[in-house]
Amino acid sequence: MDRILIIEDDPETAAAVRHEAEALGCATDHRDTLASGIEAATTQPYKVIVLDRMLPGGDGVDAMARIRAGGSTAMILILSALGRAANRVEGLEKGADDYLPKPFEPEELRARLRALLRRGTIQVLDNDLLAFGDLEIRLKARTVHVKRNHVPTSPKEFDLLTYFARNAGQVVTRMQLLENVWNLHFDPGTNVVDVHVGRLRRKLEEAGTTAIQTARGEGYIFAPVPAPPIGTTV
Amino acid sequence: MALAVTLLSLGAMVLQYRLVEARLMAAQQSLLTADLNGLAALYDQRRIIALRQAIDTRATAATEGEMLLLMDRNGAALAGTRKDWPAPLAPAGDTFTSQGVVEFTEDRTRWLAVARELPGGFPLLVARSLQPVDDTLSALRRGIFALLGALLLAGSLVGWLAARSVMQRINRINTLADRVAEGQLDARLPGPRSDDEFGLLETHVHAMLDRIENLNRATHRLSDTIAHELRTPLNRMLQKLSRIEGQDDLTADLKAEMRQAIRMFDSLLDISRAEADQGTGGGLVPVDLSATAAEVWDLYDALAEDKGLVTEARITPGLHILGDRNLIAQVLSNLLDNAIKYCSPGDHLTLTLSPDTDRILMRVADTGPGLPDDLKPEAFDRFTRAERDRATPGHGLGLAFVRAIAARHGARLTVPPCEKGFALEIRWPRLQQSD
Repeated sequence: MDRILIIEDDPETAAAVRHEAEALGCATDHRDTLASGIEAATTQPYKVIVLDRMLPGGDGVDAMARIRAGGSTAMILILSALGRAANRVEGLEKGADDYLPKPFEPEELRARLRALLRRGTIQVLDNDLLAFGDLEIRLKARTVHVKRNHVPTSPKEFDLLTYFARNAGQVVTRMQLLENVWNLHFDPGTNVVDVHVGRLRRKLEEAGTTAIQTARGEGYIFAPVPAPPIGTTV
Repeated sequence: MALAVTLLSLGAMVLQYRLVEARLMAAQQSLLTADLNGLAALYDQRRIIALRQAIDTRATAATEGEMLLLMDRNGAALAGTRKDWPAPLAPAGDTFTSQGVVEFTEDRTRWLAVARELPGGFPLLVARSLQPVDDTLSALRRGIFALLGALLLAGSLVGWLAARSVMQRINRINTLADRVAEGQLDARLPGPRSDDEFGLLETHVHAMLDRIENLNRATHRLSDTIAHELRTPLNRMLQKLSRIEGQDDLTADLKAEMRQAIRMFDSLLDISRAEADQGTGGGLVPVDLSATAAEVWDLYDALAEDKGLVTEARITPGLHILGDRNLIAQVLSNLLDNAIKYCSPGDHLTLTLSPDTDRILMRVADTGPGLPDDLKPEAFDRFTRAERDRATPGHGLGLAFVRAIAARHGARLTVPPCEKGFALEIRWPRLQQSD
């Protein structure tokens, strides 16, 4: 069972994180000060650490180096009220694996946690081909084929599809797409991402696959083969 | 300063020179008078004969400083230190008084002379050389010039030394001001402070910088605190909202409202942070403006096309600036989002990025409704929205944000007049590349 450490001083937020973590089948530990959090992080093995920033005892971002130096190989998700683009970029640059601003939607947190848990287990894709039934993506040639027919994609559409494919079977949120595909760390207000996903989706559907589906209220899910039961949300 | 002292000294010395000159002349004059008096006494006793004897005697023992000459009716010398009458001189009067003293020059020597024609046609010349006077005066002049030169030199030296010390101390403060202007708000002058006006100035500048630094730090801390204090309760609300079931539309609306509030509030914080950091280079790194613009354009182009706009992007590749990629992306995102929001199907939307002398010109232009005329002056103020746009979602911070971020990057923002629609130009300072 994967273990998740929650370093968070707001009990309500901690409870919400715990709820999502347990929904993913993980065991959780909770610490509410930075010092005790670092102590736990460096003495026990965790898969993911959910770290707040403005904690009694200091800023979680500054503690990351100490957690790493203590030998922890956990994925670090910063969950903070410091949610402006500048804060997020700072956190990621200082070594966080993901950064989710408060207030967060439970689904968003669940998607992030799932992605981090998975990133810890699967090997980095080193082969050239990603195949999902009829759908084939060649990374080096940057080509997409459905039922052996070439599907022309724009560079961003290809990046989008690759990101979906790497997170196949999981809900991917719009915020995740914006951050990972466009490298933009702010909320643009309008759902610009939807247009792009819509275009890609239509292309794939025209070629004969319903690979991308909408996860209502949450984001999208890439499930080219009939959706597997694990990973989808209920 | 040195010049004034020198001039004053010069005045004093000229006065003294004139005094000395007058005294010396008077001395020569009295010598001449004494000579005349002696000769007059002899002439009274035995006329020309006595005069001739006396002059003869004097002439044998005469120094170079005196000139005596007595001639007869025919112009032949009877006695004297010389044989001929000096050319420029004409005898005048026949008395032994010292009136009618004349000056004449012979062989570059000045003489003070009394020339007479004694009764019976005997020309008499008694003269005293002014050579000693001239010698003394020229020595005095040399002294004065040497002294003046020395004074000027010393004055300039002292002035230069004083100016250098003052300039060095002013330079210290200037250097500090430059460092602060470059964003080092914590820069201070090291070392002890003197207890003169300069020391006082340094103390004042330091006090001022301390205050600015504190205010700046407070602004930064305040925005973090506000973020924390506002987002934490919002977070609790959102968590509770997620537990409500069966009213999906209402919760979705509430979530959208919260998201909108946070966006507005982030923009405000970004604006005040950008204003606090304005002019400092801190946090800015080389950014490929062309790539960033292309990425954001790519993101919004699809949206614009879906809305039926005619879009065009002319982006010159490889243009770099010193900036914050995310802020620049947000600026462009705001501008494109605005344009798409207000334009109708068929309108044109263009993004241009091109080199413009020493800057990089970014231009976003559309053929939409444009800004209402009455709004133009305050279009860039916070929370300015046109009456007609009340129904369109937005918070009126978009252009204020654009202006603050442009200023943060040292970019110039202009709204060129256009026939239809709205255009905005940002001229970013180009990154000086070493290669």
